[in-house]
Amino acid sequence: MTPTPQRALPESERLGRRTLLRGCALGAAGIALGPLSACAGPTGAPGPGTLTLGLNRSLVSLDNKLNQFDAAVTVQRAVRQALTRIGPGMRPEPILADRFEMTGPTAWTVRLRDGVRYSDGSPVTIEDVTTALEMYSKVNGSFLLGLFPELPAVEPVDERTFLLRTERPVPVLDRLMANIHITPAAANKPEELQSGVGSGPYRVVRADSGAGEYTLARNTRYWGPRPHLDTVRVRFVPEESSRVIALRSGELDVIDTITPDSAEQLTGLPGVTVQKTSGVRICQLFYNFRKGRGHPLADARVRHALTYAVDGESLVRDVLTDSAEQARGVVPLAIEGAVRTGSYTYDPRRAKSLLKSLGATDLRVRIIWESGEFAGDASVMEAVAGMLQDIGVRVRLQQFQPGGDILKWRQGRAGDWDVIGNGYPGTTGQALTSLQGMYGGTAEKERTRDTYMGYVVPRVQRQLSAAATEADARERDRQLAAVQHAIWDTWPSLWAFAPKTLLARRDRVHDLNLLRLNAYDLSTVRLEG
Amino acid sequence: MAAYLARRIGQSLLTVFLTLTTVFLLVRLAPGDPAAAYAPPTASSADLQRIRAQFGLDGPLITQYGIFLRDLFTGDLGTSYSFRAPAFDVVMDRMPYTITLAVSAIAVTTVIAVPLGVWMARRADTKRELGANVLTIAGQSMPDFWTGVMLLTVFAVLVPVLPASGFTSWSGLVLPTVTVAILQLALVSRLVRREMTVALAAPYTTVARSRGVSERALAWRYGLRNSAVPLLTALGTRFAALLNGVVVVEVVFGWPGVGSLVVRALATRDYPLIQATVVVTATLAILVQLIVDLAYPLLDPRVRLGKAA
Repeated sequence: MTPTPQRALPESERLGRRTLLRGCALGAAGIALGPLSACAGPTGAPGPGTLTLGLNRSLVSLDNKLNQFDAAVTVQRAVRQALTRIGPGMRPEPILADRFEMTGPTAWTVRLRDGVRYSDGSPVTIEDVTTALEMYSKVNGSFLLGLFPELPAVEPVDERTFLLRTERPVPVLDRLMANIHITPAAANKPEELQSGVGSGPYRVVRADSGAGEYTLARNTRYWGPRPHLDTVRVRFVPEESSRVIALRSGELDVIDTITPDSAEQLTGLPGVTVQKTSGVRICQLFYNFRKGRGHPLADARVRHALTYAVDGESLVRDVLTDSAEQARGVVPLAIEGAVRTGSYTYDPRRAKSLLKSLGATDLRVRIIWESGEFAGDASVMEAVAGMLQDIGVRVRLQQFQPGGDILKWRQGRAGDWDVIGNGYPGTTGQALTSLQGMYGGTAEKERTRDTYMGYVVPRVQRQLSAAATEADARERDRQLAAVQHAIWDTWPSLWAFAPKTLLARRDRVHDLNLLRLNAYDLSTVRLEG
Repeated sequence: MAAYLARRIGQSLLTVFLTLTTVFLLVRLAPGDPAAAYAPPTASSADLQRIRAQFGLDGPLITQYGIFLRDLFTGDLGTSYSFRAPAFDVVMDRMPYTITLAVSAIAVTTVIAVPLGVWMARRADTKRELGANVLTIAGQSMPDFWTGVMLLTVFAVLVPVLPASGFTSWSGLVLPTVTVAILQLALVSRLVRREMTVALAAPYTTVARSRGVSERALAWRYGLRNSAVPLLTALGTRFAALLNGVVVVEVVFGWPGVGSLVVRALATRDYPLIQATVVVTATLAILVQLIVDLAYPLLDPRVRLGKAA
């Protein structure tokens, strides 16, 4: 017979077990409630003077030495400022400087704005600019350094005025300096700064970089017009559907970098507005320029013939739901200095006949790309593969996971490919830097596989170098236009498009002027209702 | 008891060490380059090489492993590439959130699934039991992503009574907890039901019944107590699994736990962060299992640890 457990045990032991079990329960409750008490606070819809932003990527710091993406720029520049910024017309505007002008082929005269102070009360000095340039120069893997042909040296003239000197002319230095954020020299380091002392309209009052959450409050020492908002909360909500729901519920006021699908969902909903503007990023189905001399894709005429197979209009309309514009140049037309060089035409019969006449009848094409390179990437690739198959080209698609080995493939170190789906940002808002990044490849760079997909065309490179050092703006624009036409004639892309910049906001948010760079000035934003 | 504890702790340390070694090797064998994930797309080969050297990834694997072991024994799990902070600290910043969600989800699961399982056992093979089964299995069958989004749509948009994301107040805990608990309900309630059915048919229950003990008392005092050990094992296992992070739920609800941290660490090939997460979560999971094992004699005095039953 099985004994009943409670009768087989002495009373004292039963009590001991129960006490222990109760203790365990209390302990578990303590573990649960401890962190809760730390996190307790107001929630739900933001207050009347608080704007809440929902970012799709975690903002590790409010510094931009390594971390400058889309909406991060909005937040970073609300706290730290540069000497200049790229304004609504895609032209540089002085910010911490009230004068920034080229006074010689290799010299710019800059004067700091009078009376500008950081949020801690200390003044902005020339030494801060010198230190900032030095710290940016020491960062490993900084994307900013890649934009600068060379970093300028600072030569003080008086207390507020200094010269920025370069060895060779850098005619877009006023644009490039928009990326160098100025911080008190003593606190600056060659790494991303975790502290939030800056001269911007807001100061950091709470930062949880691990969770990507920040609270900013109005900087009472701000030198410009008084910002309208009392508080800005920055939250990291990685999942897009959750961001959309949080916006609809009123928990978030602004979500940016949304996909066309979400924009379609949100369009027309009461209380929500979707803002669009032309983008400065170009997404290309770029050819592999490392093909041997006898390969069909090494012939620009074959590359051109293949472009006739792609129905770009239907891709934009049906796959990208009108959230992009077909490229009509080699860089997006929204950036300064870009010119229209041509357009992609859909004519599959012509594609077929041209390929036949060129002897490229048995083409096999491998298209590679990394997931998330642009919205709807897989759908675009599948559609393009279908279009190529319609003209008799055999296509193989190969998708890479983010953070995977696509870099090795791009450099031709892991395997052969023919077309790559790739996006290139227009960070400076100026055609020259984008053109140099993509088409300025040299034989020397190619030895280390550091060119853009193997694109090395000496004539183009020479033209770009000449334009990059041309001090006369009109002549530079003329040279830039000529080089863009020359690049177009090499048919670098099977197809290309410029995604529009999309943002959704609650209707209570006003004066949010979305720039083409996918950022906006938080100091002008106000809340009503 | 002391010998048993010493042996279990030794086993646990060995398990953590082997797990960590496996993870160390696997992340390095997987495709991808931390330097490429860290650097901008415009970075040159020389930039990437400098970053690799900065991360200590430029030496042979065996050298990297030796350095890793040396640092491990001094309590240094390395610096996270993406957070530029000690990886252990980054993980520990997130752990309270994960533990909170795990404890609340297990508490809700226990409070609902145990009475439900008892109720199902007492009404075994009836239409009502079938209905309860269908409901719990439906909950378990729904993808957690979908369940989460549906709950968000209803309780954050249509009837906006709960926050949609993050953990800034108590109410932010409700929807993630319910989503996780829905997934566990079927498993735990069906386990209780099965164990209870066996217990209620056991000879000692028959004897108790013949002595006039009520059916309610039979179920709760006799049946459930004898089902406690497998129930505790199941809850402990689920709890340990939840401590590794509920990735999808954390992503949907913007919950700042270790699950979403791991997703990010994997995407950026942040080796120190991946390794630190494994150390912390594996240690916690093993600790939970140890506590569960130690709790067996408290629930069933016939169990003697370290000896044959």
